[in-house]
Amino acid sequence: MGLTIAILVLSFLFMLLINMPIAFSLGLSTLFTLVAINLVTSPDIPPHLIIAQKMATGVDSFTLLAIPFFILSGLLMGRGGIATRLIDCASSLMGRLPGGLGYVNVVTSMLFGALSGSAAAAVSSIGGFMIPEMRKQDYDDDFSVAITTTSSVTGLLIPPSNAVIIYAVVSGGVSISAMFFAGILPGLVFGLCLMAVGGWMARKRGYTSGRKSSFIEIITSFKRAFLSLLLVVFVLGGILGGVFTPTEAAVIAVAYSFFLSVVLYKTVKFAEIPEILIQCSRTTAIVMILIGASMAMSWLLTSQDIPQTFSRLFLSISDNKIVIFVLINMLLLFVGTFMDMTPAILIFTPILLPVVTELGMHPVHFGILMVANLCIGLCTPPVGTCLFVGCSVGKIQLADVVKTMIPFFGAMVVALLLITFFPALSLYIPKMAGLIK
Amino acid sequence: MSRVAGFRMILVRGLRVFSGMLMGGLVLDVLWQVVSRYLLGSPSPWTEELARILLIWVYLMGASVVFLHKGHLGLDYFVKKMPKKKQMNLEALSYTLIALFSMYVLIYGGGELAYSSFSHNEVTPALGISRGWIFLALPVSGAFFLMFCLENLARLFGQQFR
Repeated sequence: MGLTIAILVLSFLFMLLINMPIAFSLGLSTLFTLVAINLVTSPDIPPHLIIAQKMATGVDSFTLLAIPFFILSGLLMGRGGIATRLIDCASSLMGRLPGGLGYVNVVTSMLFGALSGSAAAAVSSIGGFMIPEMRKQDYDDDFSVAITTTSSVTGLLIPPSNAVIIYAVVSGGVSISAMFFAGILPGLVFGLCLMAVGGWMARKRGYTSGRKSSFIEIITSFKRAFLSLLLVVFVLGGILGGVFTPTEAAVIAVAYSFFLSVVLYKTVKFAEIPEILIQCSRTTAIVMILIGASMAMSWLLTSQDIPQTFSRLFLSISDNKIVIFVLINMLLLFVGTFMDMTPAILIFTPILLPVVTELGMHPVHFGILMVANLCIGLCTPPVGTCLFVGCSVGKIQLADVVKTMIPFFGAMVVALLLITFFPALSLYIPKMAGLIK
Repeated sequence: MSRVAGFRMILVRGLRVFSGMLMGGLVLDVLWQVVSRYLLGSPSPWTEELARILLIWVYLMGASVVFLHKGHLGLDYFVKKMPKKKQMNLEALSYTLIALFSMYVLIYGGGELAYSSFSHNEVTPALGISRGWIFLALPVSGAFFLMFCLENLARLFGQQFR
């Protein structure tokens, strides 16, 4: 048992550190461990067959299909010029406040992240437009990049979100619909905390307020953004009303964003569709091969009773809820600084979920906690996808922005603690909707 | 252009087009499921099964394209801090291991699953096609991974002895 874990963990870490793609590191460390088990005990599990089978049947689920469809609708929306529509709408409402462009930035990122499902796309689309705009109004670049980067990840909590679907699938039996609704309030908390810090910093730095928009302008800009925002209403309303499954809602989102971008706004040409489909299959593959390989690994973990052993070990440190929750958050924060969200969810859900359910935490609550926690890691060095995209969009060096980001990290940690210790934030809406007991 | 390079270009282009077509097929398939259920009132019996098979193909073909462009998620933070020479050695090690995985698990293991499903004539419930078609995606993607690994290994050894 100890040897099994040692082989699995050490070979995985070694391959991870030499920059082997994480999916192959997962598959190979599972292979090595299974071969080692077969050498010692009865050779009754043919490793090559088990892993091959898990990589195919592990993703053989209708639920997982929601992922490529939300990616595709995000690509269509992202290329459809929706970013500027959202920005116009938010600026007409909040541009008049002192430091108003900071608020505009957070709100648009929340909406765009929800619609496109990709935090990195939110940074480049919103940042590419907002950062030059903020520069014109005498905002410092480090402030603009810091607020764009940190607010981009909030969309990963606000539904529809692929991160949440992945959690629902690996946790085995958590409803995606419940997870979608659970993310709404925590996403808002995240955004509000960032706005609070953004506003405070804007006042300290003496950023001015922008032009006041007339009532007519507000209505016009809202009308321009309205049809895009309707997508979220369709998806959530359809799922909540029990009309569609999440997968069907996702394909309707594809059809709707196709209609908006290609037919109505004509920002995407029909000739671009094949390229967009190829792009979608690539992004899908990056996520799905991780899921396939981690299915093989979690089969190995379960067959060796490793999650239970780990859970006992973890709970032997302390049986105080608060201590364990803080420890788990610290572990995930550390993992998140190095690892992207998808592999982190896939690797740590099977190990940590038994620990927290033992302590009475609801699996839906834990899923939201995990996503919120790993969101922070996307903005932190040494490895932070959103931070890197933000720096390149804002044409600024990493070192120049990190200090400005510290208060924003503080805001995110406060939001994370609120989400951790107030389960109602995650559970109230799904309970009201009758999705969980 | 040599004949090998030309063949490779056609193969890679074919792979890209194929993965895009699979993705398009997937969208149309599930759209048809929604239309047939909600608008026509007679849910199609085979769409869900076809979608699940297509998803496996989309991801494995897409993963091959991504592998070619070195787009899979990894952790390059530590490797980047090492001297160039060491980086190249570790890259070669990594490609060798992936080549082994492709041969043993994807081509041999996946091939065996596909072969036994075809020969035992295990068919899927709704479409009535062999389950071998599901597993066939594994050896096909394995062959692409192996090809790209060997290419990269050849490039790395070429640089080594220059």
